[in-house]
Amino acid sequence: MPTAAEFEKTIKSGELIESRSEMTPEYLRELKHTLIVSGDTELISAPAYYLAAKKAPSINAFMTGIAIIQDELAHAHIAYHILEELGEDQEKLIFSRDPKSFRYPYAFDVPLDSWTELVVANGMYDQAGFCLLGDIHDKCSYGPWKRGLNKVMAEENFHLRNGRTWMKRISLAGGSAKDELQRAVDWMFPLSVEWFGLPDDLKMHSTQLEYRLKGLTNDQLRQWWLSTVVPYCEQIGVKVPAHKETRDGKEVWVLDYPFPCEFDAEEKRWDFGKPITWDDVLARWRARGPRNSEMVAMFQEEFHKFRKTHKNGN
Amino acid sequence: MVTDKYKRVSGDAVEYEVFARKTRGEPLHQVGSVVAPDDDLAAAYARATYDEERWIEMTIVRKDHVIALWSPGE
Repeated sequence: MPTAAEFEKTIKSGELIESRSEMTPEYLRELKHTLIVSGDTELISAPAYYLAAKKAPSINAFMTGIAIIQDELAHAHIAYHILEELGEDQEKLIFSRDPKSFRYPYAFDVPLDSWTELVVANGMYDQAGFCLLGDIHDKCSYGPWKRGLNKVMAEENFHLRNGRTWMKRISLAGGSAKDELQRAVDWMFPLSVEWFGLPDDLKMHSTQLEYRLKGLTNDQLRQWWLSTVVPYCEQIGVKVPAHKETRDGKEVWVLDYPFPCEFDAEEKRWDFGKPITWDDVLARWRARGPRNSEMVAMFQEEFHKFRKTHKNGN
Repeated sequence: MVTDKYKRVSGDAVEYEVFARKTRGEPLHQVGSVVAPDDDLAAAYARATYDEERWIEMTIVRKDHVIALWSPGE
């Protein structure tokens, strides 16, 4: 194991970490935490997307939905397998944790109830995933994860394209289809903005940045996301509550509503008239949302039935 | 030499490294790994998991059959 000073030198030099023997215990802990968030997010997107893919308007659309779900499961596998190599028990992580202890973005706990909501998720949630993972792919100091993300980045691009193509198609159709799209964007856009977490002025210190587990701050990632999603939505005629401004000679994306603010998960409705604090948001996240236990049960229940009947069960 | 044994509900499993290449000119390179109880399932997992490209070649090898001469950080 390296000394703290040796380790700091490696990290500062831009060199990649390739094995456990090159890590400090603090780095290992932070790496595992980051991998769990990534694995849990990919994993939970599978039941979330599946429950909506069942509403696909055609067999072809359904097949695309299923292909995306297969990708997400493979991405989860990459993160959990790295955790396994780092000494965690993969089956315990996936099948024996309490639903509330899964560490994925709150957005997935709010049910996607239609094909329209699924394609908006592909256009917005997968764009959030693309920004977060693209940054890790670019900057991550842990070699095995950086390489594992090659596959992930190629496939997230495909999900994003599916989302964008369908959003455009539904918008062009007009009428009630477009109204449904706008309603989906109205609640899903602010949830995606929240995805990136505390703003930089409230987040004093980031160990993930210090260890080069990521390269961009929450606000930088949020700006990146806004800079891709807002122009696209405007281009296809969908309204989003954000605009571009020039501040101190720099272009920044600015939200047209108080951030953060009150959200009713059952009604899928934001109250832009009710600003809240980040402590309120963190409390909502910790309590998890409407679909948390149902989705976790979808992949945990069969495992425990199997274990009961299988002679090698451990 | 580490033998990478993993516990699964269906019994013990081992790690396999997955190698592939897209074109004839390039060398095989590691694209990932899978954990499986036997060669047949490992092949099936590799094919299903690493389907991001139209590989012209894919091979798997048990990790404990790979003989390391030296590694980073040693």
